[in-house]
Order: sequence, then structure tokens, then C-alpha cells
Amino acid sequence: MILLRSPSRFLLQILQDRVLSGEKGMDIDCHTVEFDDVRYHIQFSMRNPKVMVLSVALPLPPPEAILYDGLPLGAIEAIKAAYGPVVQILDPPKDGFDLTMKINLTKLPPDEEQRNAILTQIASVREVVLGAPLKLLLKHLASKTVAPNVDKLVALVHRPNESFFLAPQADKVTIVYPMRFQDSIDIVLATSFLQEFVEARRTAALNNVPSCMWSPAPPLELKGVPADALNANAGFVTFVVYPRHVEGKKLDRTVWNLLTFHAYVSYHVKCSEGFMHTRMRRRVESLIQAHNVCLTCLTLQALDRAKSDAEKLKKLVHGGSFKRLSLKNEGN
Amino acid sequence: MDALSRPAVVIDNGTGYTKMGFAGNVEPCFITPTVVAVNDSFSSAAQPAPRGAPAKGNWLAQHSAGVMADLDFYIGEEALARSRASSTYSLSYPIRNGQVENWDTMERFWQQCIFNYLRCDPEDHYFLLTESPLTAPETREYTGEIMFETFNVPGLYIAVQPVLALAAGYTTTKCEMTGVVVDVGDGATHIVPVADGYVIGSSIRSIPLTGKDVTQFIQQLMKERGENIPPEESFDVARRVKEMYCYTSSDIVKEFNKHDREPSKYIKHYTGVKPKTGAKYTCDIGYERFLGPEIFFNPEIYNNDFTTPLQVVIFFFIQSSPIDTRRALYKACHTKAEYEEYGASICRSNPVFKGMY
Repeated sequence: MILLRSPSRFLLQILQDRVLSGEKGMDIDCHTVEFDDVRYHIQFSMRNPKVMVLSVALPLPPPEAILYDGLPLGAIEAIKAAYGPVVQILDPPKDGFDLTMKINLTKLPPDEEQRNAILTQIASVREVVLGAPLKLLLKHLASKTVAPNVDKLVALVHRPNESFFLAPQADKVTIVYPMRFQDSIDIVLATSFLQEFVEARRTAALNNVPSCMWSPAPPLELKGVPADALNANAGFVTFVVYPRHVEGKKLDRTVWNLLTFHAYVSYHVKCSEGFMHTRMRRRVESLIQAHNVCLTCLTLQALDRAKSDAEKLKKLVHGGSFKRLSLKNEGN
Repeated sequence: MDALSRPAVVIDNGTGYTKMGFAGNVEPCFITPTVVAVNDSFSSAAQPAPRGAPAKGNWLAQHSAGVMADLDFYIGEEALARSRASSTYSLSYPIRNGQVENWDTMERFWQQCIFNYLRCDPEDHYFLLTESPLTAPETREYTGEIMFETFNVPGLYIAVQPVLALAAGYTTTKCEMTGVVVDVGDGATHIVPVADGYVIGSSIRSIPLTGKDVTQFIQQLMKERGENIPPEESFDVARRVKEMYCYTSSDIVKEFNKHDREPSKYIKHYTGVKPKTGAKYTCDIGYERFLGPEIFFNPEIYNNDFTTPLQVVIFFFIQSSPIDTRRALYKACHTKAEYEEYGASICRSNPVFKGMY
């Protein structure tokens, strides 16, 4: 609930429906857009109800991020390794998309568990494609080497026209995120969120997690990067990942978490904004209630006062009769 | 890149179900029940502690309890599953009778819709939301406040559901935005005249028969027949029967005869699992397949308070609408040619039940 899951819910739902629905099929032709401007185009045709054509468009890369044929480094190999014979890459991709794949659902393994695993894997195509270079670098880190022919500083695209930076070394990889937000309130919230985030890292229970720093100015690792890529309005976050963070099964999760760090922060900023509004609304309601109670009290008091005034008046009237009495007395 | 180049997000919050997706697609991406499961244990823990406790610790405990209560919730199918599995979650239905009642849970519901289901960044898309025709302007204001201030959407349009229903039938051959929309929702039924895309607000009628009443009627029928359904499930089963098997009929007598002649063809079976014991049960579904929707046309079979059939209501409704729109409204109903082509049944067609012949 708090973390974003890597498979796209919609893709997974369509795939599972299709696998369970048996032979009968309908035409499906739909688009969806995910955070960070990743677009999907899903097509099923009547003729081949078991073949899905999935096109993926990646976020627009900034000039410093290097792509190979529109795809990140090692993406093709990663797709082949992840899906095997189920997926066939169509070249060239559909107009307006960066990758088009033909997914043959008849080639899925018959075992239900394996099949679901593959389907989930297909639904997380975003992680496979965008995370490919990151995975490659972290794999080398796990074996404590530096990947050959890799620059000292690698820029990877993660949002339209934005990238984050990796400085790979043999024993550690330093990852720097320039954080940018559109809205002025978001910037303030994100900044304080990140400061708390760094603070939370210092608690004893989180001793083994990658160390994490936040600074308003670009850290030293980013020397020589064009200034355009460094105009962050919510500071810079730096993670240092050691080989123990990418061992075995941890690798996939680390890749996904690093890849969606910005989305994670922005999701939390939005949610906390929402919760703050809820609180404010509740507060206003309770104040209004208190106000109303006061108002009723005051009205009651006023009524009381009016009542006592009326009684005084009565007394006065009574007094008048007293006077009359006294007049009578005088008369006597 | 601006939001114009991306498809708009469409979220239609109904009393029963929420439909959400992207503009340009034929179908919504997700259809989930409009329900939020909230964890109650935290809010009870947040009650004031006994008097001896230090004030600061108490504040901290209350604060963290509040934070956890904010985070621990589920929506849709997940919410139903959670509340069934454990008693710590209680269900909250943010919308009642077509109106938002609980803004707290509504906001959380939207938050999950956007971030966890559609997985989009609300800053990147325009939003289309819907409202029922009798919504107060304050509600719209509130919705706008949440959408713009919390989610920072770049643009928002709140459309009236009946107008959208007409727009759905807008094709290249038939460009009409005039008609009478009978909007039978789960919690509210409205009859709304729409002239050239504008709702004639003064003549909106609502009738006290809704989707929920159909479900209740089916539930009652099945209970009276003594079907073997666990009582706690009966409403749910009735709802599913309604969604899966019901249809509108052109003539009830014929339909009764058809069912009696060939029970094997028309009587369906429903199989379910008892939630507590896990034992299976089956029940028959017979006349309620067509009797359920029939309450709109013969309301007296369901209750005695409201006995005007739908077609009569619509007739008087058009009679009472502004005189210059009447002709168009009648025309929008059905033409003579259509009547001859499809038979009398066309006047009774209802898109919820497969009545479109």
C-alpha cells in the first residue's frame, strides 16, 4: 500500500483475464499512461486471441542520458532473459513507441504458479526495460567489479527530461537524484520529507540499509555534469549502495526501488498533503462545533438574562403596585 | 510536455461501483466497488489514555495512532476481502444515494484510485469526474478543492451523468444531445430531460426505485422460496444474480410460460462458498431473472408506497417539461419505425439488464 508495486495492475488484469477466458476473444485496443510518462498500448485482435501486441513508450530522455536505438543499455538482452520464448520483439517499433513486443500466450508454462510469475514479469515490463542498465551496473557491483566500457558517471533517464546519476566503483555505487517538483507547496513538503527521510536512516533498526544523504547543493560526484541537469529545486539525494544490498534476490527490489525513488517521494508528498487536508477539515469541523456550542450557550444566557430582566420588570410593576399601596398608606 | 498530450483520466464514482480509466479507451480500466476499509483499532487506541499517563507520551501515542490510521486502509475488492477476513477493518461507503457523504474516505478512495490503480501522476492529466444531477453546488466546490489543492490536477471537469449517457450514444450518424435519460443507479434513480446537452434542472424527477431495490426484491423472492443461502451472504448473492442473470422481458405472462415449459433451459444455478465454514452451496434462480427488473414497470409487486410504473412517470414527466422541448423529447424516445421494427419491447429496454433487442 505504501510502496508502489512493480507490475502494472491494469496490464496484469488484462493478461490474467485473457489467459483464463479460454478460446473466445474480443478485440482490445487500449492505451494507458503511468507515472513518469510511461505509456502502454495493448492490442488483441480477433484472429489471434492469444497473441498480445504490447507497445511501450519510455519517458523522453534528457541530452545527458545515452540510449541505444531508443532503449536503455542492455534492455533487449534483459527482455530476452526475462521472458524467454513467450515474447518476440518487433523491429521497428510502432510509431510513437520505443518498444513493441509480441506476447504469445500459448507458450506460457502450463503450471499455474510459473505462469503467474511470468505474467507478473510481463506486467512489470517497465522495470525490465528502464531498469536494465541499473541492473547491469549493480550486478557488477555484486561481483565487486566495474562494468567494462562504462563511464565514470552514468546518467539514467527516469522521468521525462530528467535523469539520475550513478558513479560506479568496484566496492560501491553512488546514486544521486536531483529532485524537482512543480508546485511550490510540493517543494516545501518534499524538502522536509527528505530531511526526515535522512533522519530516519539514523535509527538503530536501519543500520544495514544504504546510507543516504540530502543536500541543497549538488554533491561532489556530479562534477562536470551540464548545469541544465542540475537545476533541482528540492535538493539532491545521494544513496551509497554496497555489494550486500544487491546480493541474490535483493537485486530486483533494489533496482525497482531506486528506479522509482522520485515517484515514491512524490506519492508520499501528495498523500501527506491529502492527510493534512483531512486533518484541517476535521479541525475546522470541531471548531465549528465548539463555536455552535458557544453560540447555544450564549443564546441560552441571553435568554436567561432576558428572563431575569422580565422578572425585574415584573418586580418593577410589582413595585408600582407597592407605590400604589404606599399611596394608599399616604391616604391613610 | 503538457497534460494536453496525454489522455484525460476519467473517474465515475457511483454509489455501488466506481468506474475509472483513461479517455480514448472503449472500456474503463477498473471497475471496483466504492468502498473503503478503515482500520478501527487505531482510532479506538487514540482515545484519551487514563489520567495518570504523562501528557507528552499521550500526545505522541495519539499522534502515531492517527498516522497509522491514516495509512492503514484498503479500497475496492481488497477492502471487502480484508473486512471479511478480520474484524479490525470496518467498511465505509463514501457515497450514499448518489451523494458524497464521507469526504475523508472519499479523498482516500481517490488517492488510491489515482496512485495505486491507474498509477498515474495527477499533475500530468486532466480529470473528468461525474456527479448526479441533483448535486448541490457545495459538493462540487468541495470536489474541486480536493482535486486542485491535494492532487494539483491541471484541469478538471465535473460532468452530469445523464449528459454523458447521451454523449455515449453520440455517433456520426445520430448527432443528438436531446433526450430523456432514465438514470437507474445503485442508490438513486433520476429522470432527467436533456436539451442540446443542457440539463433542464427544474424538471428533474427522482423515483424511489433503484438498483438496490432490485437486489432487495430478488433477495426477498429467493428467501421466500426457501433457497439454501447463508443469511449473511444473501444480499451479495442477490446482487450477483441480478448482475449475471437478470433481463427485462416484454411480457411477463409469456415469460412465466416459457419458464414453466422448459425449466431446464431457463432456470439457472448459482454456486457459492460459505465464508465461515468454506462449505459449498447451490441455489436455483428462476422467475427472479425477469421479475427483478419488472419492479420498474409494475412497482406494486415490490412495495405499496410507490405504484406508478416507469412508463407512466416518463409520460407525465414529458408533459410537465417546457413546452418547446416536449416534441424533441418524445421524438428521442422512440420513433414509429423503430417500434415496428423491434416491437413493443423497445419501450421497456433498459441497458442495465440485457433488454436492448
